[in-house]
Amino acid sequence: MNSAAVFDFTCPVKTNSGNKALEHLPVELAGLNAVNPLIVANARAVGPKAVRTLMNAFGDSKMTLGLFEGVTEAADLGVVDHLKNICLEKKYDAFIALGGGKAADVAKVLNLAVSLKTPDARQLSPKTPVRKRLLPLVVVPTAGADGLETSGFAHLNRMIFSSEFLAPGLAVLDSRLARARKGILMAATGLAALGRAVESHVSADRNPFQKAYSFAAVRFVRENLPAAVADPGNKKAALAVLNAAAMSGCAFSNAASGRLHKLGQVFYELLGIPQGVIMGMCLSRVLEDGFREGSCDPAALLQPLAGDDAFARTPAGKRAEAALALLNRFLEELRGALGKDLPKSLSEAGVSGYRKEEILDVLGKDEDGHYLRGVVEGMAGGKRERKG
Amino acid sequence: MSIIKDVQSGKKPLKRAYVAIFLWFTGRAIQAAAKVDSEVKKEFEKLPEDFTFSLGCLPCGPWMVVGREKGVVKYLGGDSRGRPVQVRLAIKSLDAGFLILSFQESTALATARNRLITDGEIPQALAIIRILDIVEVYLLPKLIASLAVKRYPSWWSFGRKLGGRIGVYTRTLLGI
Amino acid sequence: MLLPDYYEFCCRVKIVAGHDALEKIPDLLIERGAKKPLVITDKGVAGAGLIDIVSRALGDRVQADLIADDVPPDSDLRVVNRLARLYRDNACDAIIAVGGGSVMDTAKGINIVVSENAEDLMAFSGVGALKRPLKPLVAVPTTAGTGSEVTQVAVIKDHEKHLKMAFGSYFLLPDISILDSRMTLTMPPFITAMTGMDAMSHAVEAYYCLQKNPLSDAHALSAVGMIYRHLPLVVKNPDDREGRLAMAVAACLAGIAFSNSMVGLVHNLGHATGSVCGVPHGLCMAILLPYGLEYNLHKMADVMAELLLPMAGEQVYLATPAEQRAQKVVSLIRGLNEDLHAITGGRHARCLQEIKDREGKPSVPRDVLPQIAAAALLDGASIYNPEDTDYEDNLMVLEAAWEGKPLDRSRVKKG
Ligand SMILES: [Fe+2]
Repeated sequence: MNSAAVFDFTCPVKTNSGNKALEHLPVELAGLNAVNPLIVANARAVGPKAVRTLMNAFGDSKMTLGLFEGVTEAADLGVVDHLKNICLEKKYDAFIALGGGKAADVAKVLNLAVSLKTPDARQLSPKTPVRKRLLPLVVVPTAGADGLETSGFAHLNRMIFSSEFLAPGLAVLDSRLARARKGILMAATGLAALGRAVESHVSADRNPFQKAYSFAAVRFVRENLPAAVADPGNKKAALAVLNAAAMSGCAFSNAASGRLHKLGQVFYELLGIPQGVIMGMCLSRVLEDGFREGSCDPAALLQPLAGDDAFARTPAGKRAEAALALLNRFLEELRGALGKDLPKSLSEAGVSGYRKEEILDVLGKDEDGHYLRGVVEGMAGGKRERKG
Repeated sequence: MSIIKDVQSGKKPLKRAYVAIFLWFTGRAIQAAAKVDSEVKKEFEKLPEDFTFSLGCLPCGPWMVVGREKGVVKYLGGDSRGRPVQVRLAIKSLDAGFLILSFQESTALATARNRLITDGEIPQALAIIRILDIVEVYLLPKLIASLAVKRYPSWWSFGRKLGGRIGVYTRTLLGI
Repeated sequence: MLLPDYYEFCCRVKIVAGHDALEKIPDLLIERGAKKPLVITDKGVAGAGLIDIVSRALGDRVQADLIADDVPPDSDLRVVNRLARLYRDNACDAIIAVGGGSVMDTAKGINIVVSENAEDLMAFSGVGALKRPLKPLVAVPTTAGTGSEVTQVAVIKDHEKHLKMAFGSYFLLPDISILDSRMTLTMPPFITAMTGMDAMSHAVEAYYCLQKNPLSDAHALSAVGMIYRHLPLVVKNPDDREGRLAMAVAACLAGIAFSNSMVGLVHNLGHATGSVCGVPHGLCMAILLPYGLEYNLHKMADVMAELLLPMAGEQVYLATPAEQRAQKVVSLIRGLNEDLHAITGGRHARCLQEIKDREGKPSVPRDVLPQIAAAALLDGASIYNPEDTDYEDNLMVLEAAWEGKPLDRSRVKKG
């Protein structure tokens, strides 16, 4: 705890997690004075079964639900404006985002547009002041979530909207939606959660409240991701990974955007590569560099990563190295289990030299651009040696 | 055509029927236990003369209502019929009700898992939970009952268990 | 870390902590569209000069000169209604509550009345009666203990009708909690000791009671470690600003943990002892905590064992065989009570028979124990205790705690 300065922490998200969690939605919404919710989903990403599971959860509630299944990766403020007009006319009074990624982004910005009754949602920008509470927003992350669902951030039209009021009031994590078809989907979710949780957990300005979330997230990934990857049908492990993702979003909302997040985000926005894949690729490098520069403290990771016994047995002075070694081994094992499915370098991920240049250009505009570009160069693959 | 579809939520007739039957059964069992078991009797005697409580599922039922009429404990059906209810134990969804009443999740665990909302004065609600615990011990074989309650009362005499169980069962089915 | 089959967790409160956290209040109020808060507190807090500090910190960017400093320690419906009228008559738009549990509960009650435009507060009692956000409420705790700055419940009494109404809703959570070391800096050592042990009991009970979940666990673990380390230090050295801030933060972490995972036997018996004998809550908690652990040990030993590392550190943890760790936690808490007893010159009682009132008479005579055991059956905390409790169980624990002898665990009824 850095007590020299005043710190603050907020996590507006309530978590409901587990067996039949979705079935509590009618009661949860009633408690928020909402009776007519709109479900926002990318049906192609989450699959028809997930939509059905969510709709069935409302069975016997006598409610009417709006359903918009057409979120795509290309969704933008134009789509939001169109939806907003229908919402105002039909008086939807709450939003439920099914699945991660763009569905959550669209739902957050849509909630902003509807709550503020913005005449033209295409005019919304990160500068639009958000002073008041918006309508109730629920996120229902599925396998493939990236953790940003529970955060106060939304990415749309290459803009980053950020406010604690954008964060959902409720995250519902249901075992039935946690399972993935493929191990790599689980790995991407888990690594994105790990990346953001680690970044928040080792940062110099972390506080004890934020640490509760990042601690639990790191430990859950460490204890459950291998099992979830080895058997994507393992409900319990998959749900734990989804929990870790949700927690990482809460921790991340309260930390300064770190290097791992920036790298994951730029590849996702420009090339659609899952953030976890990129974060897994550069996690060790970014942490080692931060440790060397003295800007982060990997020793804090040892307890959640290694467990109580191993942590207690490691002398204080050796904890940072031990944590980094453990993290490397963990990632190696994950790569071993997934083989070709989890690319180890940009060339394995199919990023051409031309697309890489594009990424480098965007990163160049960041205040930390010089460093970030260096990391991307190091991830290129082929014969290039990683330098310290 | 609008890009937003409006969909009516469906129905769950089978689950609803199962939950309704078990609520009926539990209600009748409480009525019976109040006659047979001295502890249940004592708990009820401490409650007001016209005390009524309900147990059921949100948002749309089913419910069971049990109350005292001139001091006698009675199962009052699935509807409080305008009677004021002092304690309401509301399960957050029909599916959670199914979990509890099919004994996949004990009452204590369901409360611990935040699936049960208790409305009313706390001492009275606690009395109801104790009554439900005792009734569960009577109704269920030890294996299932020990899942349903925190501590299976192994110190009860064999006589109380057996005699009580027969009494509660016959009265539940005959409705006396 | 265990993932329960189902759990819920919520703490929507914005927490602001630091040596000059109070100075952030004006910005936070303005952000929420409020400019004229009603400040409520009690005579003790005002008399200790804490309101002057708050007023100075608020400055003139918000109009905060309306101060009601007469919330009694045993607040009730009349007080709530009177202050709600004051709020309305002066067109206030937010509430700043400075104090302990009674002030917080009163503030929550006022907030319901003024936000819902209610005539009858009673209509909103129970769980789930509130459906929308209330007016901005800023909580400034002045004891590092109760955790009421982050709980979603309020208990308000109606002394005329002899009723105790409980309100529960996530909308009752304060919007903002301010943890400022200046608010606890002048708290006398023996009060610091017992309120600190209240926080400890929140964290420990939250960690082993039935509604525990990964997030309440993470909060509890961190709180236990901070309290165990800092409490004896601040009791010994009241001017320790860092220690004071750490205790405020730890008590808040513990509050978040227990309001999501609930408390068990320790609070159950503690509430009953408090209401029968009128003894301070924190003192009951300090005394009963080791017994709550012992009573539930046969069911939760593995879980309790996990508290040893944050409390005692690596050396002790490694030196204690795994199967003895839970028992070690119990003895460390007894040891902490002994230390606090010594530092406060005996004012921190170690067993129920040592609690004395102002005249030095014992507050808990042995013959009231049956009454306490019976009263405990009326308290909701028993639901979340891992092991069942009945009248005899309660009495057995109370008798041991009265004498100050460890619980004879062979007498605990096991299913
Ligand atoms: Fe307490």
